[in-house]
Amino acid sequence: MKRRDFLKAGSASAISLPVLLNGLNLSILPKAGLLNFLNLDTDKVLVLIQLQGGNDGLNTVIPLTEYDKLANLRSNIIIPENQVLKLNDDVGLHPSMTGMRSLWDNGKLSLIHSAGYPNQNRSHFRSTDIWTSASSAEEFESRGWLGRYFDTQYTDYPEGYPNADAPDPIAITMGYILSETCQGVSANYSLSITDPFGLSPLLQGQGSDTPDEPYGWELEFLRQAIASTNAYSDIIKNAANLGANMVTYPDGNNLAQQLQNVALLISGGLKTKVFVCSLGGFDTHSAQVNNGDTTQGVHANLLEQLSSAISAFQEDLKLQGLEERVVGMTFSEFGRQIASNFSDGTDHGTAAPMFVFGSCIGEPINGDNPEIPVTPENQEGVAMQNDFRNIYGSILQDWFGVPSEEIKNLIFEDYQHMNIVKDCATPTSVKNTVEETLEISAYPNPFHSQVVLKFTTKAERVQLAIFGSLGQKVETVFDRSLPAGEHEIRHDGSMLPAGNYYYRLQIGEQQITKLVVKM
Amino acid sequence: MDRRSTIAALLGKNRQTKGQSSSKLMMQEAPVVLSGLEPYSGAWGFDQAAHLLRRATFGPKYAQFKEGETLGLQALLDKLFAVELPEEGPIYSGFLPVRNGTTAVDDPYLNVGDPWAVKINGVWKVGQIDRTDQASFQLINLYRRLSLRSWKMERMLKEGSSLLETMTLFWNNHFVTADINEATIEFRYITTLQENALGNFRELTKRVTLDPAMLLYLNGNENTNRAPNENYARELFELFAIGKGPLVGPGDYTNYTELDIQEAAKVLTGWRVRRQLPDTNGLVDFENENISVFQVGAHDRTVKNFSPRFNNASITNGDDQEYKALIDMIFAQAECARFIARKLYRWFVYYMIDDTIEQNVIEPMAQLIIDNDYEIAPALRALFGSQHFFDHINQGPMIKNPIDFVASTLRPFGFEERDPQNFVQKQIYYLNAASYFDDMQMVYFAPPDVAGWKAYYQEPSFYRTWINSSTLIARSKFTNQLAMGVNDNGRPSQYRLNVLGFVAGLDDPMDVNLMLDEFVKILYPRALSQEQKDYLKGVLLPGLPDYEWPLEYGQYLANPDDADLRDAVETKLRTLVNVMLSLPEFYLS
Repeated sequence: MKRRDFLKAGSASAISLPVLLNGLNLSILPKAGLLNFLNLDTDKVLVLIQLQGGNDGLNTVIPLTEYDKLANLRSNIIIPENQVLKLNDDVGLHPSMTGMRSLWDNGKLSLIHSAGYPNQNRSHFRSTDIWTSASSAEEFESRGWLGRYFDTQYTDYPEGYPNADAPDPIAITMGYILSETCQGVSANYSLSITDPFGLSPLLQGQGSDTPDEPYGWELEFLRQAIASTNAYSDIIKNAANLGANMVTYPDGNNLAQQLQNVALLISGGLKTKVFVCSLGGFDTHSAQVNNGDTTQGVHANLLEQLSSAISAFQEDLKLQGLEERVVGMTFSEFGRQIASNFSDGTDHGTAAPMFVFGSCIGEPINGDNPEIPVTPENQEGVAMQNDFRNIYGSILQDWFGVPSEEIKNLIFEDYQHMNIVKDCATPTSVKNTVEETLEISAYPNPFHSQVVLKFTTKAERVQLAIFGSLGQKVETVFDRSLPAGEHEIRHDGSMLPAGNYYYRLQIGEQQITKLVVKM
Repeated sequence: MDRRSTIAALLGKNRQTKGQSSSKLMMQEAPVVLSGLEPYSGAWGFDQAAHLLRRATFGPKYAQFKEGETLGLQALLDKLFAVELPEEGPIYSGFLPVRNGTTAVDDPYLNVGDPWAVKINGVWKVGQIDRTDQASFQLINLYRRLSLRSWKMERMLKEGSSLLETMTLFWNNHFVTADINEATIEFRYITTLQENALGNFRELTKRVTLDPAMLLYLNGNENTNRAPNENYARELFELFAIGKGPLVGPGDYTNYTELDIQEAAKVLTGWRVRRQLPDTNGLVDFENENISVFQVGAHDRTVKNFSPRFNNASITNGDDQEYKALIDMIFAQAECARFIARKLYRWFVYYMIDDTIEQNVIEPMAQLIIDNDYEIAPALRALFGSQHFFDHINQGPMIKNPIDFVASTLRPFGFEERDPQNFVQKQIYYLNAASYFDDMQMVYFAPPDVAGWKAYYQEPSFYRTWINSSTLIARSKFTNQLAMGVNDNGRPSQYRLNVLGFVAGLDDPMDVNLMLDEFVKILYPRALSQEQKDYLKGVLLPGLPDYEWPLEYGQYLANPDDADLRDAVETKLRTLVNVMLSLPEFYLS
């Protein structure tokens, strides 16, 4: 079993063991206590915001370098160029995202271009499962990506929780349906909270032995759920009563309400590691924009809610001196197709940008603008550039201190670190590399049979793969270490059907995609 | 010794083994259940009748259990499958509930107490709404939507031993529509599901494909040759008809491909929802109110070519009949039968389907569905009459959905409609009942998304998704309020369970142990342990000997008008019922 294989292996250092054991009676340690101690308590908080329905990335983060092509392909929904909130000359935000634009100005917002995975699945449900579990498109993983991490930290959860070492909920879903991201082997690590003041104790009744069959398992599950609710209800209420909000959150904005409660609970001293919020309505097949004014409409309202909620939350944290403990990230099950449809909407697509916010963020822009073809194929989406599992892994590594070897085991065996967040408290730990921009050229383009790809490496592993227009991985072209220097790889594409393809080059922590057209 | 073993040694135990074996909460491998779809041949008794009724109906009562026991399996199945369709729809009560009471609504063509939808010669007709006055339209539409909810709740709570409402809800979860916001369209959709509840899966799929509610919900009414919209086509394959298999190639989901979605979208171009046409008489046919119309100019008349998953089938232009060819093409795949068989299994039996169950239950069900040309009833009846269904392992492990939870609280204890002719009060009563399951996150007419309620598809949690700290509190508040008859604020609640009436209907109310046994077999899917029964007896008779119960209860029976005696007994019983409804065993079916 994966999770048992590396159970805290990296964290049980030889130095900390004797210190811990000295003077402590082992028998009073809670079941998971010892290992938990060793892993060093971090007070870092991750706030996830799930944009449900598949956010149209190209109208959220607008690649100005591709504007003319987009104007052609989505003329009925494109944001006028002069209304785009520019982040720099190349890229800008939807005009309703003024709040997030000012976070950007203050260095508290970063974006990750074209996040996705190979072989994009365009079902909401399957793709949501993939994003919440961090599985590949081909594998079925019943646990969430955070649940798998928590499984390594909280042995036997939920039996015996809360306890002295884990006195607070491990995670909280701000809503009625527990986030699948936190599904662990035995239980979901998140507690559902809609009103932090509204939890009341439940009758527990009399237990009994339970048979080892479905009836017994469901009964145990229910008993545990009741016990956990009771155990955590006072803790939550106390935190809510002790906590405060120091800004006024926007009215009529459900996400803002969720984030307000998150800030309240963090401010009240809750040591919960993960809060999951959500904003629904992004499945904009039709009437994504208002007819006549593409800056207004359903999508504009959603982005306005997202932006104003996040900026209020960040301001609240700042005023309360909590900024350095919290980092937030958005995700959505897929982006939408490059070309709009005739219902002033967009259909299910491939990759999409993600946002990271907080005062401890890394690289302001991860990756490059997506390359938009002049003539997209039918149903073509944005090609994947950044594998979302690298993003998750980097957060686990830099925010929760999980060693990269463990991340390969937990999340993704091809895990490559990205500079998504940094630990503000210990600035020395931040890697200060000056990264040169990765470049790749492809010649001839369009091509008939062969393509020559040129790029430069420092002696590192080089992964080169080719993807099709629906996000499917067509072929791994190359995957091995190359000596430093300039390289030329000749790829025979003569067997490929005509169409748009994307070479994706990954070297170390950098990746780039290059559009080529097969004639 | 690696570091992990070192720690394990220090802790004096092997953590790896412990972690894997200690917890019953883990999503374990189910024990292999060999029983299949072969007819049930075991003993028939109260437990079997109760199991069948719990799964097939909403909150069965003691009398139904006893009747089922007497009838025997086949006769009980006959009764469950003999559905009686309604002839009258929701009632115009002349009011609209608002925050502080009610406000009057004038529906000009109807009298208070009239249904606003009636079936005449087999055709539903609805009271006309004049749309020229928007304010009046809004008000009438709103009262109708609310009365529809109340009507639906009343039907579910009163239905008894029939599968009709259960299967209607099943289809509501399968063919999801939401956000319709128009009473006549909602009503029409519900009657479509109701009238086909035990009918033909393929034909229902055809009906649903053109239903105005579905055309509106999944953008079918915006799907034109110039602007194809693939929203409905995608869900038709993925969620409604055949289900999605693994992604095995670019855009290839084993059972269908992205190409099939695009081509199917073209087949379905040209359909529109036409809103009301003015009419006279005060009644209009569904044929004239919010109907689907075909606009030939908006239809893609090219040949549609499907993938090898459908043997490269082509569909040539068939205008308004073309959708039938599409659905027939999809249903020619046997996978459609397996797909709906699994869905029925997860709704009525349990969520885990392993290879053995797939082989012994799903496959033979699918075969029955195919043999009967997609009629659902024969396969469902075989399931309910099977060895597998009555396998002990399948009795009890289902976490009740909120509607079932509310019904199984209200129905066995009885609930009163104070004055059946008082339409206002009656509707408020049922709307309140409906609001309880809203709080527990199951809103009729509005599953959370097009896949339905997560309990029936979300791996690995399935039914467990009903349960979390927020919904547990909603469930517990509900049973507490109903059992104790006291609101959150400490004031008497409007509705209370009729606990004295319940006890009066038992066989042995004078013997506390026998009485508790009866409570247990009515409320729980399995027996309780002796400790649990002792605990419950302690709730009823704290620190008292058993013979105190017949004394107290007997005194009350002898002097039914003595309020003190009555209150003493009733309070004790309320406390007992409250505790019993709080036990997690009550959450199971």
